[in-house]
Parts: sequence; structure tokens; C-alpha cells
Amino acid sequence: MSLAERLPALARFIAEAAQATIAHIVHCRPLAGGAIQENWVLEVELSDGPQAGRHELVLRTDALSNVAVSRSRAEEFALIQTAHRAGVAVPEPLWLGGDLNVLGKAFFLMRKVPGVAAGHRLAKDPGFPIDRIRLAERLGEELAKIHALVPPQPDLEFLGTPSPHPALDRIAEYRRHLDALGLARPGLEYGLAWAERHAPEPTMITLTHQDYRTGNYLVNETGLAAILDWEFADWGDPDADLGWFCARCWRFGAVDREAGGVGARADFIRGYERGSGRHVEPGRVRFWEVMAHLRWAVIALQQADRHVSGREPSLELALTGRIPVELELEALRLIGAADPLECVR
Amino acid sequence: MNDRPNGAELLAAARVALLEELLTDLPEQRRYLARMVANAMAIAARELELGDGIDRAELTSLRRLFQDPEPDASEEMAARLEALNRRLCVEIRDGRFAGGAEEARLRDHLRRSLEARVAVSNPKALGR
Repeated sequence: MSLAERLPALARFIAEAAQATIAHIVHCRPLAGGAIQENWVLEVELSDGPQAGRHELVLRTDALSNVAVSRSRAEEFALIQTAHRAGVAVPEPLWLGGDLNVLGKAFFLMRKVPGVAAGHRLAKDPGFPIDRIRLAERLGEELAKIHALVPPQPDLEFLGTPSPHPALDRIAEYRRHLDALGLARPGLEYGLAWAERHAPEPTMITLTHQDYRTGNYLVNETGLAAILDWEFADWGDPDADLGWFCARCWRFGAVDREAGGVGARADFIRGYERGSGRHVEPGRVRFWEVMAHLRWAVIALQQADRHVSGREPSLELALTGRIPVELELEALRLIGAADPLECVR
Repeated sequence: MNDRPNGAELLAAARVALLEELLTDLPEQRRYLARMVANAMAIAARELELGDGIDRAELTSLRRLFQDPEPDASEEMAARLEALNRRLCVEIRDGRFAGGAEEARLRDHLRRSLEARVAVSNPKALGR
């Protein structure tokens, strides 16, 4: 059943949650979103109650092709609430709809934050002036706030016990995914074998966003406005988020701006160090940049498999299957720079 | 068979028609899809032109890596390539090629075969 047919039930849910007699959904449109989640913008008029008036909300729910690795909507809602309480710039989380009778699937509502998320626009021209030094610093500061959340957190019990060695866990996980796909990728295998031999011990375990990159935050005229897409957050090595953010594959063509294609690496790291009080070891970030390329390559292969297997024919997914060679090559270059071998012949 | 235009040439002509004649008639929100179609055609055309040579070079390089002398003529190239790449994956995971000259040889093989494949999928990524 489409969302349009569910609007009356959704309006009743919102009215009850907002303690209003009537919630009128004035307008509803899909928001261009990821392959995993479906996002809708709702304009809602509350007749009365503590929040009477017009509100712009975002509804987030599972898309059809639900990838098993991502968290449930209830868990993502708890993560955003925790981040919100910790002062991280996130859209204000409002209500969780766990009752399947409303939409037929779980969803939550948050307040809409105006801004641009699209990576190619932020890397080139978002359509308004952008202070790139300040933006890169702010992105570092905001990430430091996330990493200030350490286990245990009562509302995040679903994250389980933190692993003492997140890098080795990741490597094992990517190998499992490769095996499940039945693919022989020597480039990836080598990257993973190298990473296994060079994985640094984590200096600490914190909450990590795990998809902290350009495309997953909103920027507007006032600067960084909100960190989005918490569906992969987990306990982990905070340096993993720094590497993912700086990885060349997430610079949207602006490869010289090493901080996500939007700013300078030094500005981003300065903001992070100032916010966290922690010294960042460049070699550790480089290690996680290698891991970033391996991770994105594995995800791209999984996405392509949805097309190749015939489950979900799509040109976009099909083309994604031709991205991994580039990522494997970049991982190899990074490894060569980090770990030059003496005997090259 | 050497019908002209060949497959790669047909794809190239179709791509020009799509980008230079059709694209401007499409509404803005359909152009992204059209560009993806053009990209898929460009990759397919490059693969038709370069694919066999790339596979042959990769096979030669794999044989050298394994010091595998018998060129098995009875076996299809694609099957042999697949078998050697699977063997390579298993050996890498088992810790062979870790350190020194072995690892350098492996890196060299991987760099060359990946560069050849990126030349098909996205040659722009090589010019850096």
C-alpha cells in the first residue's frame, strides 16, 4: 500500500503523538534518498495542543530493498535521540511509529532541517556562499561530539558489547560478504590481508557514526546544520569515522579538498582535535582510508549483485558493479604510499 | 566476422545520438538516467575493444606470478582466468605473498590488472 493511502492513519498517529485534536497533512512528497531508507517530507497543521500550528517534518521508513546490515528504524531513532541529547547537530527526533497498523512498516518523524546534502553540490557550488574553512572545522567538531559518547549508554543497549578490535571484525565481515557473493576479487583480498597485518589497536572505543561523509549532512546559509543517516552507527574505533570522511572515494570529484571534497584535511582535523582533546595520528587515519575503499567496494559489489542476480534489475545498480576496480586500485595506491616495499621487482 | 560498423562502433554512434540529439529533448529529471545509459554504452564499447587483450594480459601475468608453465590450450581463457584468480584469492587470504619480493610481485600484478580494468570502466580515474 502506498503512503498516500496511509495518510489518514498517519494523520491520526501524529495528532495523538502531538496531543492535538486534528493533524492535517497539508502536503506530502518523497525526498530523494538512499537505496535503503525512504524519506518523505510532510507539511502538517496541528489544530491545537502544545505544538499547535504548521510543522515541516521528515518521515523515515524502510524502502523495499531492506539491507540486513542497517539498523531498524527504532534503533536509528534511539541513536538520533542520544546524539540530540549530547548536543550533536541532528534533526530533532519527534515520534517513533512502532505500530505496524499505521504504515505497515516502522517509521519515525523528525523535524525537517533546511539545507543541502547532495555531495556533488557541496563539493562544487551549493548555490550559496560557503565558508570552507569553518565548515571543515565544524565537521570535525561535530564528529568529536559523537565520539564523546562512550559505552555503556542505557538507551543504546541494542548495540551490544563493544568489540575490542573493530578493524579485525570489519575485515572478517567483508570476507564473509565476499564469500557470500561468491566473487574472486584479488584486489580486495590483498587489501584485506594487508589491513589484517597492519590494523592498529584502537586507542579507545566510542560511538561511531560509520557513514560520516559528504552527502550525509546538511549545510545551509548558517553552515553545518545537521548530521543525517544514523543507520550504521555502532561502537567502534573513532579513527574509522575520520578515515571514511577523508577517503578519496567520498570527495565527489573535488579530490584536492581532502576533507570530504568540501574543505582541507588540516581544518577538519584541527576542529576534531579541538573538540575531542585527542591528538589524531595521521597514519591511523590513512589506515582507515584504506579500509574505507575496501568497505565501499564490498558494498558496491552487494548493490551490483541485486541487479546481476536478477532480483532487482536497475541500470544504476548495474553501473555500481563497475566501481569496485577503481576502489581496489585506490586502496592499492594508499597501501603503496603507507607501506612502500623495498624490493619492487 | 568483420561487419562494419562493428559492435563498439555501433555503441559509439548510438551514444553520440543519445547525448547530442536526444538529451536536450528530455525533461531535466530524466537526463541523469540518459547520462547513465550513455555511460553504460561507453563502458561496453571500451570492453568490446579492449576486453580480450586485457584478459590475455592478465592471464599471462597470473601465470608468471604462479610460475605456471603449461598454457592449457584446451581450456577456455575465461575459465582459466577465473580459476587462477580464485587460486590467487585463496593464497592471499592464507598469508602467501606477505612481505618482501613476493608481496612486491603481487602488488605489481594487481596494479597492472586493475589499471587495465579501470581503463575500461572509468579511464578518467587513471589520469591523476
